[in-house]
Amino acid sequence: MAVQTNVSVQNRKENSLITPWNIIFAVLVLVGVFCWGLQLTKGLQITNLGTTNMWGLYIVGFMISTGVAAGSLLFASVPYLFNLDEFKPYTRIAAYLGAIASIVAASLFIIVDIGNPERVWLFITSGNFTSPMFWDFLILACYMVLSVIFTRQLIQVQEGKKEESSVKPIAVISFIAGILVVVTSFVFSFQVARPLWNNPVQPISFLFSALVAALTVQMILAVLLNKSGYIRMPMNLVGKMAKITAALLCLELIIVVAEVLMGLYPGAGSEYEAIMWLVAGEGAVGFWLELVVLVAAVIFLGKAGSSKGSGVVVGALLALVAIYLIKSNFLQVELFNPLISYAGPPVYGGTTGPYVPNLIEIGLALGIISFGALLFNFGLKKLNLGNGKTGK
Amino acid sequence: MRYAMAIDLDRCTGCHACSVACKVENNLPNGIWWNRVMTVGGESMDTPEGKFPNLRMEFLPINCQHCENPACVKACPVGATYKRKEDGIVIQNYDKCIGCRYCMVACPYSGVRQFNWKEPEYAIEVAMGDAAVEPHQYNVVEKCTFCSHRLAQDLKPACIDTCPNRARFFGDIDDPNSDVSKAIKGRSYFHLLEEKGTKPSIYYLT
Repeated sequence: MAVQTNVSVQNRKENSLITPWNIIFAVLVLVGVFCWGLQLTKGLQITNLGTTNMWGLYIVGFMISTGVAAGSLLFASVPYLFNLDEFKPYTRIAAYLGAIASIVAASLFIIVDIGNPERVWLFITSGNFTSPMFWDFLILACYMVLSVIFTRQLIQVQEGKKEESSVKPIAVISFIAGILVVVTSFVFSFQVARPLWNNPVQPISFLFSALVAALTVQMILAVLLNKSGYIRMPMNLVGKMAKITAALLCLELIIVVAEVLMGLYPGAGSEYEAIMWLVAGEGAVGFWLELVVLVAAVIFLGKAGSSKGSGVVVGALLALVAIYLIKSNFLQVELFNPLISYAGPPVYGGTTGPYVPNLIEIGLALGIISFGALLFNFGLKKLNLGNGKTGK
Repeated sequence: MRYAMAIDLDRCTGCHACSVACKVENNLPNGIWWNRVMTVGGESMDTPEGKFPNLRMEFLPINCQHCENPACVKACPVGATYKRKEDGIVIQNYDKCIGCRYCMVACPYSGVRQFNWKEPEYAIEVAMGDAAVEPHQYNVVEKCTFCSHRLAQDLKPACIDTCPNRARFFGDIDDPNSDVSKAIKGRSYFHLLEEKGTKPSIYYLT
């Protein structure tokens, strides 16, 4: 009798969602809600945004979480399209992560960024088909639906309720949808007013960033979940992911360096001045930090095969910081160097940069990420995402 | 019919009267300017370019260019900004604006679109300007309307009537007898950032 009680207590403990991490995430969600409340009552004036830098941390958060969503869909679909059997057991987690990221990216980072969140339904009733932002809204809505269906089907395969071959159609659709993350870049790259964004390399850069963002989160999760015994992913697979991430970061590095050199070469003109702002002006700290972190992430991830999990986690975290800095600097170099920059009557927040998010913005962003983490942990407990239960 | 404005830069003395007229007429909240007179070359407002004694001062008044091919209209995800078919004015619908500020990102004429970052506050307690001006809203983008409320009363925009140097002209560019058509006739002019393909309706006479 006593033994039975102990077992039931232990089971209840294992199934409980009340863990120290979840408590921390819940507290951070409350912090985020508090910050949003302040923002709603006092206006976006309490952020560090302004007329010149009208977009900031929330939009970067949106770009990164869209990347995680798209990259996760690609990661979940590729093993079924190219028969990479060794990765198949981990696709359920990837597809579920895609669902969480798209919900967080689409609904939360955008909702907190806009001035009138109560009007967000206008995206549905009054969508403007010429707006890249509307296209992005449609793509993200697809991500939500696709990743939820994909997760469900992969769980059914795991439980033996479905044949593995039956997921191929959704894998194909998810793969195409993942590639369509380039549409997120169109929000920026289609704007003639922003010459540094208005070039064909941006869609490629967004695709690489999406894959890096998704792979880094997957690697961190793989190490953590391996430790907890939820999954058993061999370290050589994590190492492979790390090497792919390092290679993608090298490509990003080439793009960043090429952009800077192309801007500096003429020696004068508006693009030259904007790049000078980035490398030797107000944006210099962010830019050089970006390069250092980027190179450090490549070194850590490149060596990941020979190191234990901690090396991968450090490399993955550095890669995430690098992607944040790439996107943040990409945004700032253009916003702080507009085409028309004559002196005139001061406008609200008309600074020359750099932009650093304040505590309200950081609190809100942490709240959103924590909400995603809570949803993720909920899925880990309630859904059959790991290597445990199988129908076979 | 397409409304257009011509600004004679040789006549502009940078007195900012047009900016103030716009601010008063439209009861603009603190920190919001729909029409700003920019100083060309100087490091800060109303400062000359060059080194003494070789100084030079030029001004460039900038408001919404009411483009024929507006980047903001294409960009707005919910159609809150649109081009009026009957006269080509680019209108901002405050009731529809979700406050995403994408139009500000898309507009090449930086600063002509401004966002109400806080509850509108005013310099004096009583409202100024025309009662027909649409009330300002919190969390939306706003900009020059070519004083559409005055046009509805057969009046010209406030900046046109106020300019003490008669540097500004307004009217239907499709009508050869309008003030704006007569003003640009025989004169050399440029459009701001013409290479961007937005086809602005503001003609800068030089």
